[in-house]
Amino acid sequence: MSQESEQMITVQHLVKRYGDFVAVNDVSFSIKQGEIFGIIGPNGAGKTTAVECISGLRTPDSGSISIYGLSPHKDRNRIRQFLGVQLQESSMPPRLKVGEAVNLFASFYPNPVGPDGLLETLGISHVKNSIFKKLSGGQKQRLSIALALVGNPKIAILDELTTGLDPEARRETWALIESIRDRGVTVILVTHFMDEAERLCDRVALINHGKLVVLDTPEAIAALAGGSRVRFVPSKPVDDKTLYAIPGVKEIERKEAYVTVTGTGDLAASVIDSLARIGVHISDIEARGGNLDDAFVKLTRDDASNASGGVQL
Amino acid sequence: MTSVPSESKEKKSRGRFSELLKVEVKLALRTPMGLGMGIGIPIVLLVVFGLIGVANPGNVAGTGLTVIDLYVPTLMVIAFACLGIYVMPLTLVRYREMGWLRRLSTTPESPSRLLAAQSIINLVLALAAILIVIFGSELIFGAPLDVSIPYFVLSVILSIAVMFSLGLVVAALVPSQQVATGACGGLIFLSFFLSGLWVQPAQVGGTLATIMYYSPSGAADRVLLYSVFNATPPYTSMVALVVYAAIFAFIAIRYFRWE
Repeated sequence: MSQESEQMITVQHLVKRYGDFVAVNDVSFSIKQGEIFGIIGPNGAGKTTAVECISGLRTPDSGSISIYGLSPHKDRNRIRQFLGVQLQESSMPPRLKVGEAVNLFASFYPNPVGPDGLLETLGISHVKNSIFKKLSGGQKQRLSIALALVGNPKIAILDELTTGLDPEARRETWALIESIRDRGVTVILVTHFMDEAERLCDRVALINHGKLVVLDTPEAIAALAGGSRVRFVPSKPVDDKTLYAIPGVKEIERKEAYVTVTGTGDLAASVIDSLARIGVHISDIEARGGNLDDAFVKLTRDDASNASGGVQL
Repeated sequence: MTSVPSESKEKKSRGRFSELLKVEVKLALRTPMGLGMGIGIPIVLLVVFGLIGVANPGNVAGTGLTVIDLYVPTLMVIAFACLGIYVMPLTLVRYREMGWLRRLSTTPESPSRLLAAQSIINLVLALAAILIVIFGSELIFGAPLDVSIPYFVLSVILSIAVMFSLGLVVAALVPSQQVATGACGGLIFLSFFLSGLWVQPAQVGGTLATIMYYSPSGAADRVLLYSVFNATPPYTSMVALVVYAAIFAFIAIRYFRWE
């Protein structure tokens, strides 16, 4: 497979303004065939605006977007036939039945999937004859996903799809997204849940204040968090100065008897060694590597304190 | 395998539209605002004015027409106003506010088809209301109608065009459903008044009658009145209706938003 064909969606120097507010500021990325591409960032970062430009709902002020070489703006009629969209906070006529909605949307597309099988897969076939306003939050979300998928799309854009779902429904939805990807659908997932991005995405673009902060695999971004975190209970009080003197320690947090240090290198070994040398023993040790959540907090904070842009990684 | 998905033809478009229309009809039956206002209100008013006519036989204000005669066109205009200025714009604004029009615009189907489906449903209701008013007034309350088919068809088309395009102006300009409810409510009562629901223009005379004759709903009432009694409608009112329809349609097309 050639390099060009692998990059099915290319976004270059995308800029979108609302009046004086720059929602998306010179963002570029490419999405590969068959991957789950995450777009993460704090609320108001410009994630939704970016995907709305891709889906053709908004026209960029400058920059270019190419989907299989087509433009979402000029070729919107063609693109809509193979692009499924789940919009954030979109509702439906309250008395529309689940089955009617799915059949209606199936009628819009040239090669739809079977509505019944889709409802079965999504676990909402039992509410086929229920009207929209009687559905639970989770059922509404699943219906929304069903409408995005019933056209048998090659690309699915899912915006905040697990917001408002209970933990069990979220997990089921995740499994569903993975099964969609396994069918060969390229998924663009917009989320502000880091666990979701970490679990599902092959690659993640972190957007903050309209700018692309970092684009990489979730593991690689997590590693940017400054490595690991060690929590322990010291046998006697240790002051901050002593802790900061330990090689690799960058940050300290205290809660009741617990001390949590964050830093780089082989942090746990380094902490145990250094404290043992001054006669402090530690217990209740819990060590873990950095995760996407830590990286998110760190990167968005760096970005805020360094508003001139250009994050050092 | 990553070739551009082939462009599919528009050959299925008729099938697609019938599905959308079917769904809109079902929704219209489940939320019977259209049936209630477009059909129910004219029926109730037909009975009311029919009975008033029975109780007060004879001419109204020297027009040579009885109460029920005068109210035949008024009741039709009221049905058009209910459907065009109230039911349809509120439905469209509600769809827009809930993001349904926007949702549709992400599919190969255009949300303008939804507008088409809504127009068809409300036109069918308007035609049903016409039949109910014509036959009800003639067969039950004995109005001696003599419908001039060409003028009547022309008058109905102009009247519906004006009322429906006025409703679309509201749908285009209001920011929210709340504002739409207020605006449509105000406009519909004004239209009722000008069409002669409370007092017929022949009874008031003077400046007010002139205003009524050249207002959107009053002009509609006037051309319909002439055409159901086999007379040539005053062309001034015809022209007024054409001008209103053109202006309203222009504003609606210019400012309508899907989201």
